[in-house]
Amino acid sequence: MAGAEQGVDELLDDLAVKIMVIEPGDLSSVGDLLEILERLQSAVEPATQKKLQQMIRTFQEALQKLVMGELPDTAASYEKLGECISRMQEVLRNGEDAAPLGSFFAHLRDIGFAVESGATDGVSGGQSGFSRDRELIECFVDEAAEFLGSIEANILQLEKTPGDREAVNAIFRAFHTIKGTAGSVSLDEISRLAHATENLLDEVRGGRFAMDGDVIEAVLGVADTLREMIAQVRDVFRAEADYQPAGIDASLALINRLMEKKKGGGPAEVKRDALPEAQRVKPSGTSESLDLVCRIMDKGAGQGAKTDPGKDGLAEPPVPSPLEQGQVPDFMKDGDLLSGFISEAFEHLETIELNVLELEQNPDDIEIINNIFRPFHTIKGVSGFLNLTTINKLAHATENLLDDVRNSRLSMNSAIIDIVLGVGDFLRNMIQNVSDVLEKGPEAYRPFDIKEFLERIKICQGGDVASLPMPKSVWDVQTPRLQPRQPLPADQSVQESVEPMLAGSRTPEPGVTAANLAQKKNIEASIKVDVKKLDGLVNAVGELVIMQAMVRHNPLIQELSDPKLNKDFAQLTRITTELQKTAMSMRMVPIRQTFQKMTRLVRDLSKKMGKKVDLVMEGEDTEIDRNMVDSIYDPLVHMIRNSVDHGVQLPAERVRTGKPETGTVRLSAYQKGGNIIIEIADDGDGVNTAKIRKKALERGLIQEDGHYSDHEINNLIFLAGFSTADKITDVSGRGVGMDVVKKGVESLRGKVELQSTPGEGSLFLMYLPLTLAIIDGIVVRVGSERYIIPTIAIRESMRPRMENYNTVQGKGETLLVRDTLLPIIRLYHVFGVAGACVDISQGITVVIENEGRQRALLVDELLGKQEVVIKSLGGYMQDVKGVAGGTILGDGRVGLILDLAGLINVSEEMGSGVI
Amino acid sequence: MASAAGAQATGKQNVSELAGKYLTFDLGKEEYGIGILKVREIIGLMEITAVPHTPRYIKGVINLRGSVIPVLDLRSKFNMEPQDYNERTCIIVVEVQGESGIILVGMIVDSVSEVLNIVDGEIEPPPTFGGGDVETANFLGMAKIKGRVKILLDVDKVIGESGLGHSAVM
Repeated sequence: MAGAEQGVDELLDDLAVKIMVIEPGDLSSVGDLLEILERLQSAVEPATQKKLQQMIRTFQEALQKLVMGELPDTAASYEKLGECISRMQEVLRNGEDAAPLGSFFAHLRDIGFAVESGATDGVSGGQSGFSRDRELIECFVDEAAEFLGSIEANILQLEKTPGDREAVNAIFRAFHTIKGTAGSVSLDEISRLAHATENLLDEVRGGRFAMDGDVIEAVLGVADTLREMIAQVRDVFRAEADYQPAGIDASLALINRLMEKKKGGGPAEVKRDALPEAQRVKPSGTSESLDLVCRIMDKGAGQGAKTDPGKDGLAEPPVPSPLEQGQVPDFMKDGDLLSGFISEAFEHLETIELNVLELEQNPDDIEIINNIFRPFHTIKGVSGFLNLTTINKLAHATENLLDDVRNSRLSMNSAIIDIVLGVGDFLRNMIQNVSDVLEKGPEAYRPFDIKEFLERIKICQGGDVASLPMPKSVWDVQTPRLQPRQPLPADQSVQESVEPMLAGSRTPEPGVTAANLAQKKNIEASIKVDVKKLDGLVNAVGELVIMQAMVRHNPLIQELSDPKLNKDFAQLTRITTELQKTAMSMRMVPIRQTFQKMTRLVRDLSKKMGKKVDLVMEGEDTEIDRNMVDSIYDPLVHMIRNSVDHGVQLPAERVRTGKPETGTVRLSAYQKGGNIIIEIADDGDGVNTAKIRKKALERGLIQEDGHYSDHEINNLIFLAGFSTADKITDVSGRGVGMDVVKKGVESLRGKVELQSTPGEGSLFLMYLPLTLAIIDGIVVRVGSERYIIPTIAIRESMRPRMENYNTVQGKGETLLVRDTLLPIIRLYHVFGVAGACVDISQGITVVIENEGRQRALLVDELLGKQEVVIKSLGGYMQDVKGVAGGTILGDGRVGLILDLAGLINVSEEMGSGVI
Repeated sequence: MASAAGAQATGKQNVSELAGKYLTFDLGKEEYGIGILKVREIIGLMEITAVPHTPRYIKGVINLRGSVIPVLDLRSKFNMEPQDYNERTCIIVVEVQGESGIILVGMIVDSVSEVLNIVDGEIEPPPTFGGGDVETANFLGMAKIKGRVKILLDVDKVIGESGLGHSAVM
């Protein structure tokens, strides 16, 4: 043994000298080095010098790569390699346990050597590198995931029926198996955590300890933690993503600390809480999970102490590593994980917001608080794991605050709600920034200052609501006095909400919550599918429908009059239609989410304006095309803002006019024909038609003596520039951003209109197509070409009469349609089609409207109405003026879909169309 | 096979990299070749929908099994005498590198001949012509096979998106 050690020592020294004198390009010397490494390899003791052996092997690989020219053959590389040898010598000197594997691999990485995950797992392990057997690990990961799933299911079962022994046994077995398997692949931490939980459950099983809320929380917490750990093991192992030493080191340190605490100090170190109330339940991170398990065990062991980990223990989240503060690229290591986190976090934040708003209505509902607590907890956990420290800290602090509320140390009040909402917004910004960094690189990084929030949370936790600074980010004017919404005597609220917690029964109070649960039950199983795949499917089905029509109309087949064939064709048509409907519906999502975002908007706006507004939503289950969701958000915001801002009056004003103090904004969606209609109605005063008329006259938009219905006048507010630059009045009147609404809706090939009843309120109607992939169009013929005009833009069509036809200076052609002179666009002229009908009286004019501009479009013939699938002409011909895209017509040929805005512009550039 | 694709990408500096399989076709009396890896498929002429406000050589768009793809006339692109389409006229669908990935474009040619394996020794860099009438940037090289000259086209240059973009203004 000693002889061998000596050998290793000497060989390493030899290596160190050789690498120092090596010159770039001297590959034969590198060959010498490899030879020495071979000898080293056989000199080390595989049993006791695992780490060293691993280092040597990796070093060897790096050198081989260098010889192959895969790594730079430069002086700098050799310097780094020299450093690596020094590390190996250190291992020899200081023993295996202190192996500086981290810096060893760091050096290798510096020269561009991709350290394989299998090689690095030793780093993660500290004193327990997990097994290198890939199959075993993969197997364990898969199994463990299943077990965790069953644990969770059983726990939830237990929550309903706390006495279910079979469920306890099932959970116990699952933990036991996880413990065993984790141990066998040297995942000591997981094994230990599972073991501790198993012990706890054994107590429960033996009847020495009741299965109550605390235990459930603890086990759920452990399950979450285990899932994170296992996910990490999997990622490290699959090497899909870069290895994250900081994350693992940190959690390891954490676990070790806790282990020591548990072994060494035990219950004695757990501070007793000054507050005499319920035991704190805190399933957060490994630390807390273990801590919790320990504490419950202590309690079960008869200590009976009401424990609290102590304020200092919880005030600061586990800081993963001192490095990451302010260092941008630190969280950049793992794109896959990060993007997963980002999308999840956004979902969580939405959940939070919804629940907070609900909580505002039912401040005492523990279940809702839990629903807010959990997403924060998850965000905290994952962000910590990903080294997103600021996000982690903020989420952690908020979680603490909510925990206090949950445990009735604080009563829920509007200040807390404001903070939670504010934090939600802030987190969204922060995560958005992370996402930007991921996309655009580290330059996009923006530091966030969370100090303000942390302070406010602290103040809140101190119960000193009065001195709380107002959140700047939420609203800045006319804040109503901060008052708890439903002030409850503190002791009463404590009792009320503590009781269910302590009893371990989470039975929600009847009423709203029961409804919630019922709603949750309705959620059906679903899977996530790549949108691209979905689009592909929709496209393919579209083709199928067309092909089927083509086959059916094939002259040869039409000659056959076989009844069986006809029947089969009918059946085929039915199936393809069904298939198309289903494929389309897969892209549809309920409008609920979009609507729910408005809840928050109305709340903030009405607070800011000092108004009382109820938002009533109807038809949230109406489905719209996924691709449309984002695009309708802005128009909706504008219209809702208008309704709250200008529609609903101030409370005093409303009372004066005999209306209830609280105004109502109704947001509803439904399907009608081929359209989705979204209505935004308020019960305010309606639109001031007289003022709009006056303004329109000033701007020359209407004639003094013209006859216009109120409806026509009211809809002038959608005209571009009508309202944005100059408000209709300074007191009331809609207007801000209405042209934005109109443009947004038109870009979706929809339209918007306003109906108003003086004194009773106004109603915005948004007509949207069912889907963006299909357009309702009129097929027209011009010469031998066919074009599709979107139906939504067509006002009417007619065969023009010559007495209505006028020219200006012999060129500009106009057609008089219902007292309006419309410029004529000859489509064949604009598109240069030969052989088309030139004589106005022989053709058909289609009156089209785009952004308020009306034109009479001259075509040869209307061929019919058809739903067509829109196809892009490809990047190759993106910006063809006047053409929005193509589609495959029934005969298999391509037809072009007109882009009316472009068409009108082109016709104006080209001038008159008379030939 | 792979070397042909590589050659298309690296340009004509290194003639020896151009060796590989080429699809040859006729335009008038001239014979051309394009790297086989660029060719998606060859289809017969079908009805083409004209698209307004595009360069003269773009004939329009066709329905290629559900996708709408543009079609250009190579004669017209090279300013050669137009010729009526006949039963030998073909559309070669090629893949070119667009800004947003691979795009498919159809090229109308007089007729398709064969797939040839062209070796190093047969390829010469394109000659330079005076007067600037001939865009030599479009060519990878000239191959002499059995006394016939085949002009090897750089498809990306001839009909690449950039090649279209600036002329799309008319």
